[in-house]
Amino acid sequence: MTARAVSKDIVLGIIPIALVMALWQSLVTFGYAPVSLLPPPGSVFARLAHQLVTAGFLQDIAATLFRLFAGFGIAVSLGVTIGLAAAVSPGINAVVRPVVRVLAPLPKVALYPAMLLLLGFDHASKITLVAADALFPILLSTYYGASMVEQKLIWSAMAAGTPRSQVLFKVVLPAALPSILTGCRIGLVISCIVVFLAEMITSSDGLGHVLVAAARTFQTVDMFVPLITISLLGLILNGLLHGLRTYLLRGFPEV
Amino acid sequence: MSVVPLRPGVQAEPSSGHAQPVAMIEIDRVSQMFETSGRRGHLALSDISLSIEDGAFVSILGPSGCGKSTLLYIVGGFVMPTAGVARVKGRAIAGPGPDRGPVFQEFALFPWKNVLGNVMYGLRQQGVTRGEAEAQSRRLIEMVGLKGYETFYPKELSGGMKQRVAIARTLAYRPEVLLMDEPFGALDAHTRTRLQNDLLNIWERDRKTVLFVTHSVDEAVFLSDKVVVMTRSPGRIKEVVEIDLPRPRRRADLLLDPHYQKYVVDIEKLIDDVLDDELHP
Amino acid sequence: MSGSLPGRRLSPLLACLGLLCVWQVAALVLKTDSFPTALDAIRAIPSILGDREALLNILDSLRRMTVGLVLAALVSIPLGLMMGRSRAVASFFNPLLMVVYPVPKAALMPVIMLWLGVGDVSKTLVIFLGVSIPIVYHSFQGGKAVEEKMLWSGAAMGLSAPQRMVRIVLPAALPEILTGCRTGLVLALITMVTSEMIARQNGAGNILFNALDMAQYDTVFAMIIIIGALGIVFDAAFETLRGSLVRWSEPQFDMPLSFS
Repeated sequence: MTARAVSKDIVLGIIPIALVMALWQSLVTFGYAPVSLLPPPGSVFARLAHQLVTAGFLQDIAATLFRLFAGFGIAVSLGVTIGLAAAVSPGINAVVRPVVRVLAPLPKVALYPAMLLLLGFDHASKITLVAADALFPILLSTYYGASMVEQKLIWSAMAAGTPRSQVLFKVVLPAALPSILTGCRIGLVISCIVVFLAEMITSSDGLGHVLVAAARTFQTVDMFVPLITISLLGLILNGLLHGLRTYLLRGFPEV
Repeated sequence: MSVVPLRPGVQAEPSSGHAQPVAMIEIDRVSQMFETSGRRGHLALSDISLSIEDGAFVSILGPSGCGKSTLLYIVGGFVMPTAGVARVKGRAIAGPGPDRGPVFQEFALFPWKNVLGNVMYGLRQQGVTRGEAEAQSRRLIEMVGLKGYETFYPKELSGGMKQRVAIARTLAYRPEVLLMDEPFGALDAHTRTRLQNDLLNIWERDRKTVLFVTHSVDEAVFLSDKVVVMTRSPGRIKEVVEIDLPRPRRRADLLLDPHYQKYVVDIEKLIDDVLDDELHP
Repeated sequence: MSGSLPGRRLSPLLACLGLLCVWQVAALVLKTDSFPTALDAIRAIPSILGDREALLNILDSLRRMTVGLVLAALVSIPLGLMMGRSRAVASFFNPLLMVVYPVPKAALMPVIMLWLGVGDVSKTLVIFLGVSIPIVYHSFQGGKAVEEKMLWSGAAMGLSAPQRMVRIVLPAALPEILTGCRTGLVLALITMVTSEMIARQNGAGNILFNALDMAQYDTVFAMIIIIGALGIVFDAAFETLRGSLVRWSEPQFDMPLSFS
């Protein structure tokens, strides 16, 4: 891609966001929407800036992030392990495949009440929900990536003396890495979404709770703040993951 | 570096395809520059001038990356040259059209239609009634040797069969010029020789103008009246070789014919020179 | 590797039964009031489905879900395809979509309810917004992947640019588009349930949480089974539909990258 093309992309991309901002502002200034329902962008971003240095809000962000990372971490560990195991062992595959087929389309959020009953109303139930939702994309893409590893790569390694037991870690895992990272990216976005939703449904802290609390007291500005925060968080985390991906996949052919 | 001169006096009226030396395709000082990520662009074609008569089978031959496909795409109207102009029957080429039918190496069949549906596509587009289009298509499918496969989908066909369908599909809408871009490149050697034979048999029937891109010397010599040998980076015409072998051509006879062998040896030497020139300019 | 076709059809069923057995055993072992056995939950199902009001609630939910899904498809598929074929269009919409993506659409419920009231419109709108994104993404991928040479062949036959869009890009991208719709279907169900859990008015999610509030644990788990069954049934039905629509396509990776 030429430098010209990239900068053209950026310019084009900013236009819709700028347009939305302009539309937002004009809706308020020209009185199409009452301030109580749609606060002007200026006051929303001012409030956001104010909140970002307030201890209470920062604690909420911390709670959300804790649950998000815990759930995501569990999903990655379980997903990669089970995915790899199912790809290399036909026995495990036979068990895992139908179970995943049944559980994957199931709306895990429907299980949330069960989790609340069994694990209480605090962190554990939310972390479990996040893990349950993020697990499947990661598992599936790990399985897919591992089973697509070219047989010839494995044969080359074994001919060079790699014992069977190490083939999994030295050949299959690295070769499946692009696919695994794609699954992790999807899992990360899902984690952002689910943690927020779980906190909205029942919680006493966290960004989702902030939104619901603001809604109950009709503080519209305070409702927008957590939404924008989670969007920014999602973008930042996505960017970090992208950076990690670029680093880990240094030598791989362009996918 | 010898170049075939442009024929003067281009005819404005369409010719009816008799054996007159009319310039069917004219390539007039065409250049093609591609933008790359560096500061300098890539000059795929440099100042190409070429004239192709009606009914001629012309091969464009050269090492990979020499711009031969690009030249074909320019004649097809899929790519606009950055300099110069290409004309068909006197009119400048502004875009693709049914007068210049392509056949691609990747087959490019419509996977959601079966063999009959694919072949009928161009005819239906031209407004031919369903019944007539089907009848014509069935004849063509039989001609390319795929009778009985009309209801098969592309995913059920082998590479050679897919290419036969692609050829039938293009012939169906009766283009005056056939543009073939390494059509047999993706096929195994045996299928390739069979299709070369079949192509010549089909071509003998109405002798359309054919522009055939290849990197195989014996394929070019076997099929063509003229072989245009190209250099690369930038792409220029090194030489145009007239192939004076009698038609109809049979592979078994030709392989033992010393004239054929001499053509192949000479042109292979030309390509060697092209490659050597690159290493030691 | 699973062998014959009946074996493949049977194993998900076996998996269901297996999971239910695990549940039953776990409940018996744990012996808490709040965790009824699988059989207790199953026994509670007919009373829910027999209750007219509950049934109407569930059907209302499904109706909103369908409307939102269909509208989303009508808007997102053309948008995604155009993004796939035109770099300018893609660059224009991409950042906007990336900003909107991590925001849970069900979380917009309170805001939207404030603007549009508590009726069907807000719930349908949320589903529409939530489902649009995967459909746009998959349509984009599908449109981008269409072989250039196929379009050139069409152009040589005389097809104009809009004709090529409808008659070549659309059918060629259809397998990928339908994968996006399948993801969208699962997502629609989830968004529907979640938005009803948040904005407690009516609908299946509401029934679920009402039962939770009233400590009717059998009902809670029965609703979970019902919603879960809906998800599985819809997914299986759609997959069959998709299979018949794109019988001509090369087999794709058959397990969905399913979405929360």
